[in-house]
This record gives sequence, structure tokens and C-alpha cells, in this order.
Amino acid sequence: MTKFNISRRTFMEGGVGLTVANLLPGTTPLAFAASMEERTIAAAKTAGAADVSGMIWSPYLVPMQPVIADFKKATGIGVGAVQDISIFDAPQRAMAEALSRSPQFDFIHIDSNMIPSLASAGYLEPLDEYMKKADFKIDAVGDYAKFMTYKGQTYGIPTDGNVHIQYVRKDLIEDPDNKKRFADKHGKELKFPETWEDEFRIQQTLMDPAKDLYGSGSLRNRANGPTWWYMMFYSAGGFTFDDDMNSTLNTPAGQYAVDIYLQEKKVAHPESAGWGTPQMIPRIAQGHVVTAQYWDGTARLNENPAKSKTTGKWLYGLVPGSDFSGKRIHRSISSPLAALLVNKYSPRKAQAAYLALWLGSGKNSIPIVSDPVNTFNDAWAKEHMTSELVQKAYSPAGIKAIEANFQVVSPPTYLTGYLEFQDTLGKNLSEAYVGQLPAKDVLKKTDEEWNAIVRRIGRTKLKEELASYKALMPKRNVPA
Amino acid sequence: MNVAVVPAVQVQAPLPSTRELSRRRAITRFRWSILSPLLALLIFVLMPVLFLQLYFSLHQWTVYLGTWWDAEYVGLDLFREVLTDPRFGWAVVRSLAFATGSTIGCFLIGFALAYLMYKPFRGQAFYYIIFILPMLTVPVVVAYTAEMMLYQSGPLNDLITRIIGIEFKPAWLTNPHIALPTVMLLEIWNWAPFSFIIMLAGLSAIPKEPIEAAEILGASKWRIFWEVQLPLLRPVIFLALVLRFLEAMAEFPKTWALLQGGPGTATETLPVYIFLTTWQYFQISKGAAMSYIVMLLMVVIVLFAIRLLRREKRSLDTMYAKPAARQQELA
Repeated sequence: MTKFNISRRTFMEGGVGLTVANLLPGTTPLAFAASMEERTIAAAKTAGAADVSGMIWSPYLVPMQPVIADFKKATGIGVGAVQDISIFDAPQRAMAEALSRSPQFDFIHIDSNMIPSLASAGYLEPLDEYMKKADFKIDAVGDYAKFMTYKGQTYGIPTDGNVHIQYVRKDLIEDPDNKKRFADKHGKELKFPETWEDEFRIQQTLMDPAKDLYGSGSLRNRANGPTWWYMMFYSAGGFTFDDDMNSTLNTPAGQYAVDIYLQEKKVAHPESAGWGTPQMIPRIAQGHVVTAQYWDGTARLNENPAKSKTTGKWLYGLVPGSDFSGKRIHRSISSPLAALLVNKYSPRKAQAAYLALWLGSGKNSIPIVSDPVNTFNDAWAKEHMTSELVQKAYSPAGIKAIEANFQVVSPPTYLTGYLEFQDTLGKNLSEAYVGQLPAKDVLKKTDEEWNAIVRRIGRTKLKEELASYKALMPKRNVPA
Repeated sequence: MNVAVVPAVQVQAPLPSTRELSRRRAITRFRWSILSPLLALLIFVLMPVLFLQLYFSLHQWTVYLGTWWDAEYVGLDLFREVLTDPRFGWAVVRSLAFATGSTIGCFLIGFALAYLMYKPFRGQAFYYIIFILPMLTVPVVVAYTAEMMLYQSGPLNDLITRIIGIEFKPAWLTNPHIALPTVMLLEIWNWAPFSFIIMLAGLSAIPKEPIEAAEILGASKWRIFWEVQLPLLRPVIFLALVLRFLEAMAEFPKTWALLQGGPGTATETLPVYIFLTTWQYFQISKGAAMSYIVMLLMVVIVLFAIRLLRREKRSLDTMYAKPAARQQELA
């Protein structure tokens, strides 16, 4: 025995234990004790203190500020100059930065559907190395983390899980008179809609324009219309391109989606063709709408009695599906999906990356997504679904609806040239909605224009990206 | 009978005095002192941009595939593509319709206000400020305010309904047939003061003598306006129309902030389409070609306008030249 009184057996057992611990991933002696947040701080400290500059819309930034302040205290990394640009205008600005290879912004907060375009333009810093160093994982519901990837690399950290959920007026569909009227007219029970056809019947029967109550609160303007159309198209079994990157919109599934999209004109406010979120959200919250698919954050607004006249009057659930393909398919959508992306040309890209990881941890993002006043950042992480704060903000039913829709969430056209594909489709749908273009010509025209876009960007290049796009499509047709 | 041709006696003009020479040199120096900064701006800022734009318009640069200096040379292909693009054609038509309508509207209202204001009266300064206020409002603010007022069930329709006594509820912003005229009306409201200022200056600068002479001869107010004032105002009117037209062709903030080219493509004017092509679709090269074509179109309009203005100036100078000088000119 030595004077330290350690037996050889004890020494051997300790050595074997440490060896096993070191072989297990993420289980360094520090990791055993450290949370993801602590690991992020430890990794960030190696990058050095700095104030990073970014492009982010203020409604998103405001609830992040206390969380950013904590990070600054712990690591010396904070946010300095910020350019306040709306998320709808950010893509153009980001592309301008990409083209000029500007190091001005260290991070941008932008629709993650721009990742293929910005990565192709060489602007984005892959985050995998930083995530590995901090042993960080995007702990999102379902396969949502994949929405941050492109060609196998991660380029963004989500802050706003913009998934569409279904909103239905509980007070209207539970009203006995309405139930009777619906049953008499359609021979069916009035209940939460399961298909697009169900929803249309409910909207038609329950709307009352004389009382400023319209059937639909979904958007049909040029900028946002495609977001809704994709849900109908995907749920009918459609997909945008074949394996050779030929546009496949002009199919029976596509035409079905156009018909469903356009029939809502009969149940929508006459001015909805030009309305965006500033017009429609108040109408939903003030009770002028029977049903809608809408971004999940509106549930938070609806359940806030200080801002809504319809607190407690909503049912939340899965967006309608379709039997068009022969089986029931539901498809929700996430667009725009706001995420933090890092500029490859920035001299402070490491600091910006670690800041993004900090803001993207489940625990840190809880106060961000449950802020009662700034409701732009929506729940997306697994931790959000069980957090009391988040449940209180959205209501338990709202959270259940978000979780369900996340299981069938799909992207819009997740390819380089996303904005062009989106606006072309939006333009043609909008023209049909206002009567400038016959419904039967919408997809023929869009197919031709999309094929021209593919030729210009490069068929080979886009074919390589198709796998990333398809990988984002949900694996199940209905939520578990 | 032969008539001998006698050469005219050449009368030599007197040599300018030293004072006159010195005055002319001072005028030349003054002109160059004003022009030099503008020329420097043109040569060192605008020309490089124009050349770069020309480069882009002759090369097919796909932003996702490589750097702009490696872009493929395609000659005039992009110009051909633009000129055969039906969407571009429709954007030109919409822009011309918008610019023509808003120019005429701005001119009529501006001229009417200027005619009411050109003779001094008590409180004139107050009305002057009121009339030019719309021009001082930022276009985007005009758009957002108008959006709130132009809802079908908004205050404007409500007010008109109350005034006329029957329901008046056009969908200003969502009816594709009236969306462009709606933006035109906003443009007229926003920029009529510009025409007002120009016409007011023109009316104030008309010499009093022809008007007084006409009054003495017993002409009516209408005849004085139509046969004396209006002809004298022609150069100013052309200037107001041309300047306003060029500005209206370039109108973007209100159209974009209000309607983003919609509903459908009802308000997709040239600036909107060029913006979409360049900054939404990132077709920088095609956008550059479009911009060049539009610039050439504007240059043609400006040259035509300058020619008209020069002709008007010459005819006015002839009308008011001293008798001896007029004879010399006619000779």
C-alpha cells in the first residue's frame, strides 16, 4: 500500500470508468455536469468578447433582449448595431449583402426558406462545427430541425416556429341553432373540419356578412397566397417538381388545389384579395371570422383578453386535409420560418454563431416565445410544448394544435430561387383570384414560368438541391 | 434688264470694350464654377455606374452560379428578351397610362390653384402653405394613410355615401380595374403642389403690359386668359408637364407600399417590375437591360420636350424682340 491509501483495485476501477466516460459522445467530465446552455457559454468564451451586429426586425428582437443580456454577462458577447428590417423585406437586403460579400452584418434574422439561395450565393456560415464544439442540438418538435439544413449542413437556428394551425370558432360551431341548420342543409354533424370541403361547408353556412362575420380568415393576397396554396396542393398528394426538375404543378392535384383556393372567394371578405397580416390578424382576434388556417402566434393573441374579443372562443387543431389522392393527407406549412443565420464574411462569425445557439436553446427560448406583448416568435422546441409559461400563453389546446401540425409541416419551394418561384405562383394565383386570369390557366402559366426559372438557375444545380427539399417533407400523412 | 448685284456693305460690329470682355470672362468662370461639381459627379459617380449597368445588361449573370466578372457575354440577347417579354410590355403600358393620367391631373389642379393665387391677396401665404403640404408628405406615409382611408367600409367611402345619399363602396384597393387609378389619385394629391409652384411662378412672371393693353381694348377675362396669358405660359406649361411626367414614370414608393404590384398585376408598373426582377428574382442582368431601355425611352421624351421648349422660346423671343432686332432676325 502507498502512503495515499489507494488500492490497485480502486485505481483500476476509476481508470476504466473515466475511459468509458470519455468514449461516450458529449460526456466529457464537464458535460456530465453542464447543460446545453453552459456548454454554449464555455464554447463561446473561446471566441472572445465582441458586440455583433445584425439585421433583425424589432418585434423579434425585443423579447430576445433579456436573454442576450444574460449571454453578454456570461461571455462578453452581445448585440451592438442592429438594422431593423421587416422579415418580408430582409431577403432582398440579405441578397444584396451576399452579392457584395459584405461583412457589415454578423448575423441576419430571416426566413430560413432563403437558406438555399443565400448558401448558393456563398453568404452563409455552416454552424455544424460550432454546434459540435458546444455539443448543441436543435431540439425541435418532429423533424423541424431539418428546415435549417441544406445539402447536409446546418445553416440556421430557429427562433420562430411559424407553423399554420387551424382556427375554428367554438361558440359558432357549438351553437345549437347552427348545429341544426348545418345538419338540415348538409346532412352532416357540425364539427371541427377534417377536410377542405368540410371547412368550406362550415364557412358557407355560418358566415353572416350583414354582421361583418365572414367565413374565411385565410390570406389570399399576392405575397402570402402561395403559403396557403401549398397546404392544399401537398395535401392532394402533389409535389412541385419531378426528379428531372420539371415543374409538376399543372396536374389534377394542382388544379384541385387551385379550385379549393379560389372557392374561398365566396366566403371571404371582398377586400381580402389585398389584405396581409396587419389587416387579417385584428379581424380574427375581434371575431369577424368563422375559420382560418393561420400562423400559430395568433393563438397567443386570441387568448390574451387585453387584446382580443374572442378569448376562449376558439378551437385549435390540425389544418384540413384532403382525400383527393385516395388517402387522407394533412399538410401544414412553415413560411416564413424565422431563423438566425451567420454571415460567412463576418470577422465575428464565431461570436454570432454562439449567440444564435444561446438564443436557440429550448430553455432560453421559452421566455422569447411566450412573451405576451411581442408575439412574433412562436413555439417550436420540444421544451416549449411542456412549458407552463408557453402553455399559458397559447392555451393548452393551442399547444396541442401546434404539436400536431408540426408532425405534418412542410416547406414552400425550398430551393435556390425561392423568392422567384414564390412570387410567380403568387402573381398567377392573385390574378385568378381577382378575375384577371382564368383558373384553368394558372398552373399552365406557372409551370412555364417555373421551368424558365429552372433553366436559368441551372437544372443540374437544382437537381442536387431536390434531395434537401424532399427531406423536409413530412413522413406521415396524419399526426400520430 | 440685268440687275447688277451689288454686294451689301459689310458693317463691322464694334469691338467689345475691355469692360465687356471682362464681363464675358466672369460669366464663363461663373458657369464653369457651377457646372464643375456637376460634371465631376457625372464623370466619377454616375458614369461608372452606367458603364457597370451596361456591362450587366450585356452579360448573363446568374447570381447563384458565380461572380459577376465571370458572367457569360450574351450581347443583345437580354435586350431582345426584355423587348419580347409581354409582362414588360404591359408594365410599359401601365406606366404610360399612370404617368399620363397623373400628369394631366396634377397640371389641371396645380394650374387652377395657381390661377387663384397669383394675384396677391390677404392671407395668401397661409393658403400657399396649405396647398404645398401634400408635397411635403413622405410618399410611404401617404400610402399607409391612404390604405386606412380607402377600405371599402372605411372613412372615405362613408363620407361620400353621407354626402351623396346613396351607398358608395368601391373596393379601391382590391378591384383590379380601379387599383391603378386609385394610386394615380394619390399621386395627383401628393404632387399637384409641384405643378402649382411652377405654374404660380409662370403666371407671376407674365409681363403686365400685354394684359393691360388687352383690358384697355375691351377684351373679356376669358379672352385675356385664352389669347394672352396662355400663349405666354406655354413654355412653363411644357416644363411642368414634362417634369411631372418623368417623375410619374419613376413612381415607386406609393405603388409598392400600398399594393406591391397587385391585386393580381393591376399595378405592376415599370419601376415595380424592375424592382421585382432585380431584387426579388435576382435577375440582375435582365433588370439592368430593362433599366437601360427605360432610360433610353426617357431620354427620347426629354429630347423631344427640349425641342418643343426651344421652339416655344424662339417664338416668344420673336414676339417680344425690339423692332430693329426683329427686322434683323427676319432678314
